[in-house]
Amino acid sequence: MKLLLITNLFQGIWADTGFSNLYWDNGIMILVGLALIVLAIKFNLKPILLIPLAVGIVIGNIPFMHSTPYPLGIYAEGSILHYLFFGVLKGIYPALIFLGLGAMVDLSPMIANPKLMILGAAAQVGILVTFLGAIILGFPIAHAASIAIIGGADGNTAIFLTSQLAAGLKNLPEAAKVQGLIGPVAIAAYLYMALVPVIQPPIMKLLTTRKERLIRMKPQRTVSRNEKIAFPLVFLLLTAFVAPASLPLLGMFFFGNILKESGLTKQLAGTVSTVMIDILVILIGITVGASTQADVFLKWESILIFVLGALSFMVATAGGIIFAKVMNIFLKKENRINPLIGAAGVAAVPDSARIAHEMGQKEDSTNHLISHAMAPNIAGIIGSAVTAGLLLAFIL
Amino acid sequence: MRTLFIAFDPRLIDSHTLIVSILGYCIVLFTLSAMAYLMVRFHSVRDFIRTRRLKKETKPASAVPVKVVMTGEENAAIAAALYLFFSELHDQEKYVMTIKKVSRTYSPWSSKFYNIFNNMKHW
Repeated sequence: MKLLLITNLFQGIWADTGFSNLYWDNGIMILVGLALIVLAIKFNLKPILLIPLAVGIVIGNIPFMHSTPYPLGIYAEGSILHYLFFGVLKGIYPALIFLGLGAMVDLSPMIANPKLMILGAAAQVGILVTFLGAIILGFPIAHAASIAIIGGADGNTAIFLTSQLAAGLKNLPEAAKVQGLIGPVAIAAYLYMALVPVIQPPIMKLLTTRKERLIRMKPQRTVSRNEKIAFPLVFLLLTAFVAPASLPLLGMFFFGNILKESGLTKQLAGTVSTVMIDILVILIGITVGASTQADVFLKWESILIFVLGALSFMVATAGGIIFAKVMNIFLKKENRINPLIGAAGVAAVPDSARIAHEMGQKEDSTNHLISHAMAPNIAGIIGSAVTAGLLLAFIL
Repeated sequence: MRTLFIAFDPRLIDSHTLIVSILGYCIVLFTLSAMAYLMVRFHSVRDFIRTRRLKKETKPASAVPVKVVMTGEENAAIAAALYLFFSELHDQEKYVMTIKKVSRTYSPWSSKFYNIFNNMKHW
C-alpha cells in the first residue's frame, strides 16, 4: 500500500516535470535558443539584443503541463510572463525604446548633408517589394505588411506595426492570427539586425566597383545648436502630419532628441538613453523570445516569414546602394556620394553605418565614412516608422 | 505541424494593393525629400539673412567718409613709438630658468614650530 502511494507520488512529480512533457518541437526551439546564445557570445553578433532574445526562446520552450492550476506560459492570461508581454502586445515597449533611441542619436550628419536623407527613403523599397511578394505568396494584406516591415531592419517598428494591426482588427478572427505573427516577425527583424555584418557586405561588394568604394566625401560642416533644436521639431511636425499613425514612434523619437539637444534636460536624456532603454531591451528581448513557444512558432509560415524577411532586408540594402549610384549621376564631382553609405539606409543603427565605414576602410584606410553613413541610417529609422504609419493607415 | 502550402499567384495583387504600396513608397520618399529640401532652403535663407545683416552693419561706416589729417608731430610720435617697440623685440628668448637660492639662518624667534605649537597648547 505504502509502495503504491510512493509510486503515485513519484508519478505525479514526474508528470509535472519538463522531461515528461518534452516534445521534439520544444527540443528544437531550445537548441535554436542555445545556438543563438553561442552565436552572440562567440561571434559578438549584437549580444545586447541576441542574448535576451535567445534566453527568452529557451525559457518560452521549457515544456510544462498545460493543465497547471496556476498560469505559467506567456500566452496564459494572468501569468507573469503574460503581463510582461503586455508591453509588446500593445506596442508600449517599441514606443519607449524610440524615446531612448532619440536621446542617443545625433542628427547632425543628417542636418549637415540633407540630401543623404533620401537614401533612407530609398532603402524602404525592400518593404514595398516584400509587401507585394508576400501577397503573391498568398498572405493576407495585414500579414504581408507585418512581414514586409522586417526590411526596415528595425525590430521595434516591426513589433509596433504588428501589434497595432492586431489591435486595429479587434474582434475579427484575423486579429489573433496577426498577433501570432509578433514572435516570428520580431525574431526575424532582430536576427537580421544582428546579422547585418554577414548579410550586407556581399551585396555591397557586388553592387559597387572599387572606384566607387574609394570615393571620398566632402567633410561635413559644423551644425549649430539652434539647428539641432529646430530641426527635430520641424521633422516631428512634418512626419506626424504625413503619417499620424506613426506618432507613437516618431513623437517619442524626436522628443528624446529634443531632451538631448536642449542641453538643459541632460538628466532626463541620460536616463532614457541608458537605464530606461536597457530595461526595455531586456523586457522586449525576453518576452519576444518567450513568445516563440514551439506550438505557436514552429510553422511553415514562420519559415516563410524568415525567407521573406531576409529578401526584404537584402532588397532594402541593394535599393539604398543603387539609389546612391543614381544620385551620383546628377551630382557634381566634388559632391559625389560613396554608394557604400546607401546600404546604411536600413534602420539598423549604428551597425549598418559601421559596416559601410568598415567596407570603405578596407579599400582605403584613410577614408572615414562613418559620419556620412549615419545620415541615411537615421533617415532609415524615420523612413521605416513613416512607412509603418502609412501601412497602418492604408490597411485599417 | 501543418502542411506547407505556398501559393504563387501574381493575380492576388489587385489594383488597390498596388496603388497602396506604390503610393506609400512615394509618400515616404516625398516626406524625406521634403525634409531634405527644407534643410537646404534653410541654409540658403540663413546665409541670405547673414549677408544682409553684415551689409547693414558695414553701410554707415562707409557712408560717412572720415578725413584723416595727421600733423608732423603725430607722425614723429608714432614713428618713435614703433621704433622703440620693434627695438625691444627679440627674435628668440632665452629658455633658461634660474632659481635664486635664499638661505636663512635659523632663529627660534622666527621658528614656525615654536610659534604655532606653543599657542595651540594654550587653546
